[in-house]
Parts: sequence; C-alpha cells; structure tokens
Amino acid sequence: MRVVVVGAGLAGLTAAVGLVAAGAEVTVLEARDRVGGRMHGIPVSTSVVADGGAAYLGVRHTELLAQVQEYGLGLASTAMAGDSTFLVSDRRRTTASRMPPLDAVALGDLFDRLEDIVASVRPDAPWQSPEAERLDRLSAARWLADEVEHPDARTFFPLFLGEMMAADPAAISVLHMAFYLRSGGGIRYLNAFEGGAQQWRIDGGAHLLCLALADRLGERVRLRQPVSAIDQDDDEVVVRCVPDVVGARSEYRADWVVVAVPPLLAQQIEFRPALRAPRATAATGRGCAVKVHLGYPAPMWRESGLSGWSVSTNGPLLSTVDDSPPDESAGVLTGFVTGAAASAFSALSTTEQRDAALAHTRQLFPLLPPPTQCRVTDWLAEKYSRGCYAALFGPGDWLRLGPTLTEPHGRVHWAGTETSLEFFGLMEGAIRSGRRVATELINGAESAAASRKVLSR
Amino acid sequence: MSTDHIVQIFRRVLETSAVDAHSDFFELGGDSLLAIRVLSAIARDFGTELLYEDFVDNPSPAGLFARVAAVVP
Repeated sequence: MRVVVVGAGLAGLTAAVGLVAAGAEVTVLEARDRVGGRMHGIPVSTSVVADGGAAYLGVRHTELLAQVQEYGLGLASTAMAGDSTFLVSDRRRTTASRMPPLDAVALGDLFDRLEDIVASVRPDAPWQSPEAERLDRLSAARWLADEVEHPDARTFFPLFLGEMMAADPAAISVLHMAFYLRSGGGIRYLNAFEGGAQQWRIDGGAHLLCLALADRLGERVRLRQPVSAIDQDDDEVVVRCVPDVVGARSEYRADWVVVAVPPLLAQQIEFRPALRAPRATAATGRGCAVKVHLGYPAPMWRESGLSGWSVSTNGPLLSTVDDSPPDESAGVLTGFVTGAAASAFSALSTTEQRDAALAHTRQLFPLLPPPTQCRVTDWLAEKYSRGCYAALFGPGDWLRLGPTLTEPHGRVHWAGTETSLEFFGLMEGAIRSGRRVATELINGAESAAASRKVLSR
Repeated sequence: MSTDHIVQIFRRVLETSAVDAHSDFFELGGDSLLAIRVLSAIARDFGTELLYEDFVDNPSPAGLFARVAAVVP
C-alpha cells in the first residue's frame, strides 16, 4: 500500500508512523522547510526554546502522554506560586487568586449560562444537538448581547474565549463555542492549569515531539513540497506539488492520500474529481492567536512575589504566563494576543508590535527590566497554518461541515485536529485523528468500496 | 434559606455529594471558576451578592451562610 500524507504536523506525522509500522510505503509532503506545523520552537536565549504554538497538556491527553513517553521526552510543570496581576481598564492590581477583580456574581452567572449550553451539546455529533440549527446560526457575540447584561461579564467573555479558543466571539457560532469547550473536557478542565488542560508543557518544547516522529520517518518526509492538486481515478491518486523554490513541479503517486492540514488549507487544494463536501466555508475563520515571548535572565517577577500570570482587559497582551524552564536558567513570559486583539496586532509592523508588547509589559510589571528578547509568533500571518490554535467554525459551519469531517473523498482521507471530535483543536485531537486515519487505511477494504462509490457518481 | 441550601449548591457545582455544613470548598477541589458559580447561585436564591473575598475567607456552607445572614438584617 502506497500512502502520501499531506502535512507534517502532529496529525500527519502520527498517521505516517502508524502506517509505516503496518508496512505501508509512506511519503509525507510538507510545505514548509520544517516539520511540526502549529508546534514550533522559538529560541529565547542560547539554551532555551519556547513554544511558539501549541504548548500545554494535561492528564486527560492520554495519547499525547503516551507519545511523550515513547519518545523519551519530559514534562515541565506549569505550577505557579505568587500573586496574579490584573490590568482592568488600565488600573493595575495584584491579588492572591486567579480571579480577576470583576463582579464575581456577574461572572458566576455568565459561567452558569455557559455550562448549560455546553451540557446541551452532543459531543459525538454536535450538528445533531438539540437546537443545533439555532445555535449554529447564532454568533457567540450575538448570544452574549442577548443573554448577558452585566458589563463585567461582557468584558470578561471575549477574554475567556480568546484564551480558551483564540476566538473573537463575533467569528464563531454558539454551537462551535459550546462544542469546543465540551470537546476539550469541559470549561473547568480546559481553563485549569493544575488538574486541567495546562498542567504541563513538554520540556524543551512541544516541537521536539514532531522532530522525534519525523526522525523515525527519516527520508520519507519531504520538505518544501506545497501540495496544489490531488487527482484520482480508479487505479491511483496523483498528488501534485508546486515547490516554493524554482524547479520542476513534482508528482507523487499513491493508493491513498491522507490530507492532514487545517481545513482552510485543505479547501485550497484542487481536487479532481471535486470535493462533494467542502472542508471550509466563507464563514470558517483562522484561530486568532499571536504569542509574544519575552526573555529575561531569570524569572525575576518571582522575586517580587508575582506568578507572572496576568489578565488585561485591553490588548495586546490579554494574558501572560510564566513559561520559564524548570531549572530557572532563564525567565520566559509568554504573552497571548488573541481574538479581535490578535487581528489588530497582526496588522501592525514588526516595530509597532514590539513597542506595543513592551509598553504593555512595563504597565503590567513595572519593576521588571526590559526583556533581553522579544519574539513575536504571528499565526494569522502563517501561510501554511492560517491561524492557531485551530480553525474557527463560524455561523452555519457545523451543520455544513460537521457530518462529513471524516468522510473519505474516494482515495483521500482526512486527519488534523479539526477532524477530531475529541479534544478538537488540541495536540491530543491531532494525535487521535492521526491514529484514526491510519486505522481507516490499514482496514482498507471498506474504504476501497467507498472510493468506487464516489468515483462512479 | 439555610446552610443546608448552600450545601445543595456546593453539591451541584462540585458534582459531589460529599459536602456537609463545614466542608471546605477548595479542599473538595473547587477553584475560583466554580466559586463564582456558587456566588451567583447564592445571589439568585438569597438575593445577596457576596464578594469573592467573602468566599475565600468563609469557604464552607456554614461560613457563607453566616455572611449572608450578616448582610441581610
């Protein structure tokens, strides 16, 4: 069995390793000059690499933890000590708890309402949830305007969705919001560091896992091979690439193809015969996340009793987290620019981005010296990711895209974290999708029958 | 309106029946996100809006009920 995997992110690499183990002849085509996709190491000092993209995991991420162990990687705890910092309408406060200085009853009421909606979603088929049509049409911003009156709850809601799913509430449906929160293990699990989805980082950077997977695959991984078209007939599939460098256009022939790229990128590939169901629509958005890494000689904020955790009601750095290495050999503060703030930030020049980030940091932590490093990772501008953490399903998308997320298009099968109903948008979802697609191809008889059906229509 | 009512709120929010009048919310696994949902339930059911600090200082049903009783003459 010859298989071409399109995309050397965590999903594609996981699928490829599984297929190789089952005896398949596998080629992985990657558009960039590196593997890892939305997992990318950013050097912040001579010895420390920060996570430019996906970073955190928790105990429920069982497939990811198994891979971390299999490839001999370590975990770094995110446990933090010290006070939180809050900038609410430019007024700075520090408090012992992670609770922002906003009206607690109003926020509690907001989360009661969110819990109700999250509980109503069918995690195995969100498009079949009760009231799916209404919730799919309604934007999260509209829902907030209709349901929630208190100004503090209205202030907090976009910050929460930005942090949880890198989404501007205006860009996603209520169904997507509720599904995402449910898929990740519920609001409380997804929100928590200790005991939640942010319990650990992968020591040295999450990208190390992708490097390890790619290392196992060796020369099967071909870099700088952006796929432009996938043609299939009764006998085989031809995957056509347009390499970035000037040169001959290359073709790869296979029995099966796994497309393991984000939906917006999959939708750009030219399929012959054409797709019967789209992978993305005009409403499908890019995950709006920009990460700003600030490097210091040591985690100096700890000396003044601060955890490095902050939340600001105005951008760009809507939250910051202490991502320093466990040995404290450097200090790393990660600033998250998410949602609408990310779109605005992404439009700035490099200098303006840096100035805005540094000015915000001075406001948050006036006692800190200027950082020795300031690195901006703008996922909105990444041609071969088109956003991060994950695609944002806009109004109408779940009913349109949901039922066919994993339905093969003839010889073409789908992977990627956006095809996983479990831990959608997370590294765990990517791995689960990769394992699922490998199993589909290994038990290929069924799919072979399905492919003939597609082509005869 | 009673301590027992707040015991019920704790049970619902924490999704555990192992709550009595003197249970410490945070020792039962509660966090700030769940604590504010207790505060919103108390506000709904008792008409009294407590502060987050009230909760942290009195994280048991009996302690919170004492705060409610102190606020409502």
